[in-house]
Amino acid sequence: MLRYILSRIPVTIAIIIGITAVTFFLLNVVPGDPVALMMKEHINPETIARVRNEMHLDDPAIVRYGRFMWGAVQGDLGRSYKLNRPVASLIIGALPNTLKLTAAALLVAWVVGIVAGVLSAVKQYSAVDYGAMAFALLGVSVPIFWSGILLQYLFGLKLGWLPISGMKDGLRSLALPAIVLGWASAASIARLTRSSLLEVMRTDYVRTAYAKGLRDLPVIIRHALQNSLLPVVTVMAMQIAGMLSGSVITESIFGIGGIGRVSVGAIQARDMPLLQGAVIFAAVLVVLANLLADLAYAFLDPRIRYD
Amino acid sequence: MKARLSAALIATIFTVALALNGCSSKSNTGNDAASAAKTLTIAISTDPGTADGQMTTEEYLLPLNLFDRLVEVETTGPGQSKIVPGLADKWDVSADGKVYTFSLHPGVKFHNGEVLTADDVVYTFDRMLNPKTKALNTDFLDMIDGAKERMDGKADATKGLQAIDKNTVQITLAAPFAPFLAGLATPGVGIYNKKATEAGGDKFGQEPVGTGPFRLKKWEYNAELVLEAFPDYFRGKARIDQIIAKVIPSADTQRLEFEAGTIDVFDLDGARTQIPYFRDNAKWQSQVVSGPRVGTYYYALNQAMKPLDNLKIRQAIQYGINRELLLEKFYYKTGVPAKGVLAPGLAGYNAALPGFTYDPEKAKTLVKESGVASPTIDIWQVTDSADTLKINEAVQAMLGEIGIKVNIKQVDSATWSASRKTGNQIAMYHSSWSADFNDPDNFLYTFFAPNNSVARSFNEKNAKVFESLDKARQVTNMAERYKLYQDAEKLVVYDDAAFVPLFHLEHLFVVAAKVKNFKVSWNGWSNMSYYGIKVE
Repeated sequence: MLRYILSRIPVTIAIIIGITAVTFFLLNVVPGDPVALMMKEHINPETIARVRNEMHLDDPAIVRYGRFMWGAVQGDLGRSYKLNRPVASLIIGALPNTLKLTAAALLVAWVVGIVAGVLSAVKQYSAVDYGAMAFALLGVSVPIFWSGILLQYLFGLKLGWLPISGMKDGLRSLALPAIVLGWASAASIARLTRSSLLEVMRTDYVRTAYAKGLRDLPVIIRHALQNSLLPVVTVMAMQIAGMLSGSVITESIFGIGGIGRVSVGAIQARDMPLLQGAVIFAAVLVVLANLLADLAYAFLDPRIRYD
Repeated sequence: MKARLSAALIATIFTVALALNGCSSKSNTGNDAASAAKTLTIAISTDPGTADGQMTTEEYLLPLNLFDRLVEVETTGPGQSKIVPGLADKWDVSADGKVYTFSLHPGVKFHNGEVLTADDVVYTFDRMLNPKTKALNTDFLDMIDGAKERMDGKADATKGLQAIDKNTVQITLAAPFAPFLAGLATPGVGIYNKKATEAGGDKFGQEPVGTGPFRLKKWEYNAELVLEAFPDYFRGKARIDQIIAKVIPSADTQRLEFEAGTIDVFDLDGARTQIPYFRDNAKWQSQVVSGPRVGTYYYALNQAMKPLDNLKIRQAIQYGINRELLLEKFYYKTGVPAKGVLAPGLAGYNAALPGFTYDPEKAKTLVKESGVASPTIDIWQVTDSADTLKINEAVQAMLGEIGIKVNIKQVDSATWSASRKTGNQIAMYHSSWSADFNDPDNFLYTFFAPNNSVARSFNEKNAKVFESLDKARQVTNMAERYKLYQDAEKLVVYDDAAFVPLFHLEHLFVVAAKVKNFKVSWNGWSNMSYYGIKVE
């Protein structure tokens, strides 16, 4: 197992180099000038030229990329052009909020998604099935900015039970953004659990379990669900990576200072060091999430071994 | 069954919400204790990023509240202002208009306890001009003698900056520049403490030390800033204990927070569609505070691009836009049609300009006279501005009626700003400008000086305009100066049709009843000093 994990390190490094190079050169191709953007309507050609020169923005792209990577391998991700703050501190500063939001949203997504998926598979073609799938369909279809405002209006303004935005009230602050973000993710988990479980339910060993006289619940929980979760786990892992890389709409609606707003702000400002930092962070997360999924396979299916 | 399931879901959400509500009663008690302090809670849509006014040209919440300037601008009425003493009690200007001598208020304390001296002023201004600072706001100081050499890295200090004694600063300009004093009252030229600023280095923008009425207590990036009243403020401690600025990008969320009473001020500039709700609603209308924005909404026409190189086409656009209709439909009549570049309230404003009456027939005739067959124009805008899109679509229809086909091209803000500064990519765009300081130079020179005219994609190259703007910078007689700016304004708007004035708008806020003495600042900006505010 350890050897397997270690073998992933060179791949991870290659991925990070590749993805930062692609990001860097793509952003060099599209138009944009971080200094002109910072000056907004107060654009002054002489000031822009002078500040660009001081920031070494007129150096060739390859030189700037090399400078960034040289710093990065020494643990220095550089400073944000726009905010003049260390990139690492901006990402680390946003991380706690993102971690909290991700954990809460995944809890909603996975509990609701798996329960809905199991119910609709077990009661296939029943009202429960149709209801759960309609719920799932709504989850993927309803835009977050709409469901967010509705819940804010109801629970925040009208009932006054939960804060409308911000992260100052602990669990209460997390409830609405977690429901909104989790619902959208629950939908795909529910649909996937349903189809996967339906497939497993038709296998011989499930039939054998029933033939032994076991009731529905032990068969589903002990025998069927565990095996049907393999494809679901892959999606779950990607959801972890996706949410940790930032959920910009949810963060914006609920005024949460998370990774998503840092990343999108960096793209909009053509803030290359900050964007590179965010990209490296996201790339590492995707690699880790994939690793987590692989390890979970081994746990769920004893036939899978990495040694 | 579906209904039952939905009911079950709602019941679950309610139960969880109730449970969370219950388990947090303890933290609420804590909040109540904190709210005993007189707190003004505001919402801002973006994090200011830095408190260093030298490093930003628009994010002025922190510079206005944490720092003071040598002179300040006082709002004397709606859209009216005057220059008053700030950190300088008095000042003299030499007869030739080149030497400014400031006497500092004695004993002014910085937030770190240091006392303000003339060295701090010299250091602050020199820091702005030092190329290593990478300052963006050099426009306000680049007329100082030796500034150019300093900015070009050819000098280690700025020749025109001198500390005469502990409390006297002398600033010598390279040439007379009448608006210099007004420029010193802009938020970007706050005075810094030399010791704290040098010690802060790159962190100064996040750990600022000023003399202002508030000092920074906490800054959670993209989430919340807390400013607390500075007890040793030289004009006396502020009447509120703290300001909490919540960073809430969504205007809808801001509105819900305001209605829930968790923020005290709702800026309607970011949520214009909600103006009628607040303005015409008995519950709220008495709490709507408005003031004129000393600024102009306009279209820029790029003469370097076809068919806008044709004067008749540009003139046709002036007459082909129904300004009153746009004001009524999109701005709920919270403004007046503009007749020129300068806004009412601004020194040198020319109320005698005739303006443009909507005249589609005249516009059609002008299009025909232009000789351009099927004129087509691309209006550029940034993608995330719904308000601009509405205006552009309306103008697209209006110009379509007079025979000019308009395409709306939406790009991201980075592409937009990079394309505009080239001067040869964007044919036409909608924008606005509000006064930084009360002088026509801040509008006309900013837009139509030779370099600026290209960088703003006007490409207005009328030698008479350049001559007037240059001359106006040298003349010290105000009446003569204003006449020169007004002449330039007539040329760019009426003779050359380079600039399509649209309207001057009011800036509306809704303010919680407990907040007293809330005044829109003279220029109508969203950012303002909260020193005079009271919270009951």
